[in-house]
Amino acid sequence: MEHESLAGRIFRGAALTLILVFFMFPIVWILLMSFQTNEQILRIPPRILFEPTLANYEALISGQLRTAAGNLEITFMRNLWNSFVLSSGAVVLALLLGVPAAYAFARFKFRLGETIAFTLLSFRFAPPLLVLLPLSLYYQELGLNDTYVGIVWVYQLIALPLILWIVRGYFEDISPDIEHAYRLAGHSWSEAFTRIAVPLAGPGIAAAGLLSFIFCWNNFIFALILASADKQPVTVGALAFVTASGIQYGQIAAAIVLSVTPTLLLALYAQRYLVEGLSLGAVKG
Amino acid sequence: MSMLQLLQANAPVGRKPRARGRALPYLLSLPALLVCVAIIVPFVVAAIYSLQRYRLNLPYLRSFIGVQNYVDFLTDPAFWNTLRISLVYTALTVVLELLLGLAIALLLRRPTRFHNAVSIVLLLPLMTAPAIAALMWKLMTNPGFGILSYLVGLLGFTDFKWASDPSTALFTVVLVDVWVYTPFIMILLLAGLRSLPRQPFEAAALDGVPATFVFFRITLPMLAPYIITASLFRLLDSIQQFDIIYAMTQGGPGDRLMVFQVQAYLEFFQYTNVGRSAALLMILWLITNILSNIFIKNWLRLRARVHRQA
Amino acid sequence: MAGLEIKSVSKTFGTVRTADSLSLSVEPGEIVAVFGPSGGGKTVLLRMIAGMFEPDEGDILIGGRSIVGAAPERRSIGMAFQNFALFPHMTARDNIASGLRKKRGADAAARVQTISRLLKIEHVLGHVPRELSNGQKQRTALARALVGNPEVLLLDDPLRNVDAKLRYEMRLELPNLLRRGEAAVLYVTQDYREAMAIADRIAVLTAGRFEQVASPEEIYARPASVAVARLFGDPSINLAEIVPFVEHGTVFATISGARVLLGAADALPGDRPYWLGVRPEDLGISLLGGGDAMPARVLAITPMHEKVVLLLRLEDGKEWLASLRPDALKLAAEDSVFVRFAQEAVQLFDRETGLRVSLSHRRQAA
Repeated sequence: MEHESLAGRIFRGAALTLILVFFMFPIVWILLMSFQTNEQILRIPPRILFEPTLANYEALISGQLRTAAGNLEITFMRNLWNSFVLSSGAVVLALLLGVPAAYAFARFKFRLGETIAFTLLSFRFAPPLLVLLPLSLYYQELGLNDTYVGIVWVYQLIALPLILWIVRGYFEDISPDIEHAYRLAGHSWSEAFTRIAVPLAGPGIAAAGLLSFIFCWNNFIFALILASADKQPVTVGALAFVTASGIQYGQIAAAIVLSVTPTLLLALYAQRYLVEGLSLGAVKG
Repeated sequence: MSMLQLLQANAPVGRKPRARGRALPYLLSLPALLVCVAIIVPFVVAAIYSLQRYRLNLPYLRSFIGVQNYVDFLTDPAFWNTLRISLVYTALTVVLELLLGLAIALLLRRPTRFHNAVSIVLLLPLMTAPAIAALMWKLMTNPGFGILSYLVGLLGFTDFKWASDPSTALFTVVLVDVWVYTPFIMILLLAGLRSLPRQPFEAAALDGVPATFVFFRITLPMLAPYIITASLFRLLDSIQQFDIIYAMTQGGPGDRLMVFQVQAYLEFFQYTNVGRSAALLMILWLITNILSNIFIKNWLRLRARVHRQA
Repeated sequence: MAGLEIKSVSKTFGTVRTADSLSLSVEPGEIVAVFGPSGGGKTVLLRMIAGMFEPDEGDILIGGRSIVGAAPERRSIGMAFQNFALFPHMTARDNIASGLRKKRGADAAARVQTISRLLKIEHVLGHVPRELSNGQKQRTALARALVGNPEVLLLDDPLRNVDAKLRYEMRLELPNLLRRGEAAVLYVTQDYREAMAIADRIAVLTAGRFEQVASPEEIYARPASVAVARLFGDPSINLAEIVPFVEHGTVFATISGARVLLGAADALPGDRPYWLGVRPEDLGISLLGGGDAMPARVLAITPMHEKVVLLLRLEDGKEWLASLRPDALKLAAEDSVFVRFAQEAVQLFDRETGLRVSLSHRRQAA
């Protein structure tokens, strides 16, 4: 590996370049499109150099889109806000519920714990629609359809198992003696949990929280079925926007950029945690 | 079930029980229990639906009909089309992503700064919502102005219609799936590769063993457990693919991309046939379980072999 | 009033009885070492006292109050763990202060200061455990256990993970440190020398039972069983299987063809099998035979700094060890020598029960 022939190095370089182009080109291209007017987009052949415009973003943010057919109301900012509320709500709830449960799974060996682990794992790969169809019928009766609460609750199906599996692994890595030592020093169970176990599992909790946030944000099918226009997150909203705005390609590109920016920035910021969480989540369950 | 075996195989042994606070663990896991109930109850309800004639637009016809919904599928060409498309889609995506992911992981194997930077950049497609990724590719493959349409036009394919042409639609959605999910396999295999012991490779290098031999007889067998885990995850997600296909073509053109979940979604929301939709999903669930069982058996066998060698 | 009382405590894990009706009391200011082979139940006993497990049967009292079922934080126990169990996200100072009820204020600061001066870790109080050497970690863990002046101090093999030099120093320092707060100290160790150096009494724990609880001198001189005799002493005790016989009103035994006088005829019943034990330092080696001396050949000579250990082969093939002062004899391997030992040096144990048989005691009883 250390001594590589020139041909080998050229091959390696070429291969890596191709890979980078394939995986990065769509993101870069859509970003470029989002700064172009429709006329610039429709030009053939396409040009890399152009006069950038912020008009697409202005239209999205102001919510007013002037088209030949007249003024169009865009609710895309509303979708962005919905995504933010739903994903952070789901993650906060899942952390509040999941971290203590993960601790219980890691520290106590009990029948119910095994049963829950068993169930969550068995259904880890059940088709989401299987759960969603009956839920959508019940939600209508319960009036939970199209409410933040209702959607945050179904997002628990994404976030909670993820948090349970990842955080449990981190709790298991903490020596129980450390907690015993803290309790013998005169602290209650809850103090040992909040001041010792939780801080020490901090990286795992951060990783699990980030991953769940991203997965909730990226979810499409849950909201497609359970949310109507004013509660829709960006994934569903962007698709609706494509249908509604028709040929406003610049704005579509800008909407796409706005909907992926938060998760991509998070991913870049916390990539170490992410890789750890993904690998652990995959290996453990 | 089999997923539990996977868990138990990974679980640390010898955790010590504590007598104190017997109620505490139950109290703490109550939320997780609620989520379980929230999964199991709809599941059972869906299973019951699948045994009923249940159409939302004809509620008065609702009745128990046994396995009639399932029997109907046997003679229904649409069902066989769904089964075929789902399996082909799954096979194509898993194989392509595995090969590409493995190749990239091997290229990035040495933990240099540059390699690490590349692997981080490759995370971005994976962190893009699949539905949004489909829209990105839809813009790029637009027959009017799409950059990809323009580029393949330069190569002579002036009439390449991507997702709107039945003969290339599958290729297009598979391409998007590969774009989104190859990094997942790459990350797992890279972690696996970097955790392999060095001695066998150093010994092989000293002995002048040819690189192809090292790859097929040392690297691949040692990496096998990671490969199986990664493919299992992709396999189970892929056969249930919905986001990319729905956002791209809603199952079209025609019934060209009617995979299980898209078909079930349309049965429910377009044809309001709850019973049929539920039966379709139950079959998908069954296939998922059979596939994961096969994989996990192999995984456990391989793991046992690797452990014996170690 | 006893500091710590353990009353008939039993604990079973699965089918293994890890604690079998254990009873022990430790006075305030007293150090009792729990010594025994690993797997003997030392750690389980400590953890039952600390409240990590509850006993199946029996009672544990601290300062006269039963603590069975009480939360660990209500037991007034300070504990030092074998793996230190320091809080990795806190400085040494905060680690130590966590053992105080009031963590802030001048009083707390003063107590942390005092204990760390005693343990010579004042200069590293601002460091987190990752930045400490093993010796400093161990001292920090001890300081944390000591600072709250608990009624009971539990030390779980605290010197296991520190290097030999530090272990030697700590053996000298620890008894004074531990006695400071008038706590009842239970000190678990796998090293008999550590137990003998530190403890007022030693409780020998094997297979979930106390084989003997006595002062170090007593245990060494009069071990309650052959198992205890084997555990104490380096090199370990020499043993021979004997069946004593009576001749002319005197009990004898034959070892390696030599006849060894054990005492008067009524000292112990004959025709029963015994273990005869002699400590290596009680063996006399000479070049001259005669009397009840056993011929032997020197197999190997190992000089230690304060003694020389000889590996001998007796005529019946048995291998014994003798430890001599270094200046005693100039010997070489393969030399022929004669081995003697005094009647008082002999320890006898019943072969069936393994229990000590006291010669003089037998005479009184008879």
